[in-house]
Amino acid sequence: MSYIRDDVSAKRKIGMVLTYAVLILFTILAVAPLLWLAINSFKTSQDYQMNRLGFPRRFFWQNYVQAWQRGHFGIYIINSIIYTAVTTIAILVLSFMSGFAFSKINNRNTKWIYGSYVIGILMTLQSIMIPLFIVINQVGLYDTKLGVLIPYIGIGLPMGIYLSTEFMKSIPNALVESARLDGARYFMIFRSIMVPMAAPVGTTLAILQISGTWNEFMLINMLTSSMKNKSLPVGIQSFAGSLSTDYGKLFASLMIGLIPMLIFYIVFRKEITKGVSAGAVKG
Amino acid sequence: MGSYASMFSSTRMMTSHGEERRAYWAFVLPAFLIYLFVMAFPTIFAIFLSLTNYKGGALFGPKRRPVSIVGFQYYKQMFADKYFWLALKNNLWIVVISVFGQIPLGFFMAYLIFRGMIRGKDFFQTVIYLPCVISTVVIGRLWKAITAPNGVLPDIIRLFNPSYVAGNSEHPMIAVLLVILWMYTGTYLIIFLANLQKIDTSVIEAAKIDGATEMQALRYIILPALSGVIVTSAILAISGSLKSFDLIFVMTSGGPAKQTYVLSIYMYDTAFKGAPNYPLANAVSIVMCIISFALIGITKAVEKKFGGRE
Repeated sequence: MSYIRDDVSAKRKIGMVLTYAVLILFTILAVAPLLWLAINSFKTSQDYQMNRLGFPRRFFWQNYVQAWQRGHFGIYIINSIIYTAVTTIAILVLSFMSGFAFSKINNRNTKWIYGSYVIGILMTLQSIMIPLFIVINQVGLYDTKLGVLIPYIGIGLPMGIYLSTEFMKSIPNALVESARLDGARYFMIFRSIMVPMAAPVGTTLAILQISGTWNEFMLINMLTSSMKNKSLPVGIQSFAGSLSTDYGKLFASLMIGLIPMLIFYIVFRKEITKGVSAGAVKG
Repeated sequence: MGSYASMFSSTRMMTSHGEERRAYWAFVLPAFLIYLFVMAFPTIFAIFLSLTNYKGGALFGPKRRPVSIVGFQYYKQMFADKYFWLALKNNLWIVVISVFGQIPLGFFMAYLIFRGMIRGKDFFQTVIYLPCVISTVVIGRLWKAITAPNGVLPDIIRLFNPSYVAGNSEHPMIAVLLVILWMYTGTYLIIFLANLQKIDTSVIEAAKIDGATEMQALRYIILPALSGVIVTSAILAISGSLKSFDLIFVMTSGGPAKQTYVLSIYMYDTAFKGAPNYPLANAVSIVMCIISFALIGITKAVEKKFGGRE
């Protein structure tokens, strides 16, 4: 008897070790390129050309200083913060408003309007990038902050409205009805009942929206041309394009692009992975 | 007295209905107008533009240029262009790597974590998903530097094969596909792990006590429980392939010699490289919309059949 049990537990142990080994291998594959980037951002360009696989001979912090100054990353980061903050706040407010109306005010138009947002969630944004560019151009918003913000808000709305509406449906109607009987206007009900109660979905929405807007590249690359309107990803792309073989500064600039999102991810990883598993991320 | 009360209540009902309607539109319209302007209007506008010869300049106002309808001329041009078909083929390769690479690999890792009763589940999940949260520009530039002929990848290959000479690859799409595999597999790991954790493990344990092997448990309990998720993931992967733009734009810009074109890059180049050919770009846009809407239809049908994902 004990012989069999030993055999089973030995098999189980080998299985465990193999499982860990495979998972650790995948983990290494996932982070190795990023670690390599971090290490090489401290090499001078000569050091990198001579020794691409090893550690730097000495840590050359100047890469970061020079990349920061020559790449104008201060401006780009401020722009990225503006785009992300305005987009996120606007989407939260508009999504809550629509969600409230769709879930708590009876109207026969809800069906098709809400339905059109559900289609919007699944729509491939890439397929309308050129017509969107032409539209923004025709209304004179090319290379303006507003010309970036309006598309950002419009694109984020379908998911925001969907999540808000579904969440608000679960808030009891009786709360709204009794407030109405007490003579409260809809705006009051929205502000003092719905918004506080929908705070949890607001958090999820904000986190998804912040990471999405911060990383957005395709549209803003197409819709802006001057430094005062570019965001961090576009700034990195144009700075990297201006360097031919200066790899030290290139890698430092990539690290500047990577670090803010890395910190954000470490802080909110639970909420982010929850959002992914709910299918709430438009990749 | 009674009639007074009913009159009172009916007027109150009426004003209340009016207020209700006004409130509804006040809450709904701002968002809906932005949405129409950003998403619905461009889609319809693209259909119109794809049938005209509009190649830039003002469409409205005093300085507008005349635009005439030319029918399906640009669709013919598009279908006759071999780079359109190359781009479509590369999109299909992305579908293949997603469906036969990312999904099985993501499932395999999720399965190991779930069945191995591994400690540090959050750690593995968090780290493997990491490439997905970082800006695609950073990822694309990084891999461009790694795979360059003077990059680190040839160095690594030389560790195993000293006679290796780095040159331009004959199949540049392979590098792109591997990066896509590396970058997005974590998404499927998270999706599958979340759904595996909904399975009642006592069912599996009971089956094993009855003598079922691990493979049988996988085949008869775990995979059937996940069938809906697997199908939805596959559709997600197919529609996701249409979305690939940033990574390829940054990593190869569709080159060398347009070999890594996908539909979105093809469309971008027709519109912005050289003389703008907006009608052709809009024709591509319409083709992408049609594929995208067809996929939405399939998704809805499948969700109905399998009862949704949540």
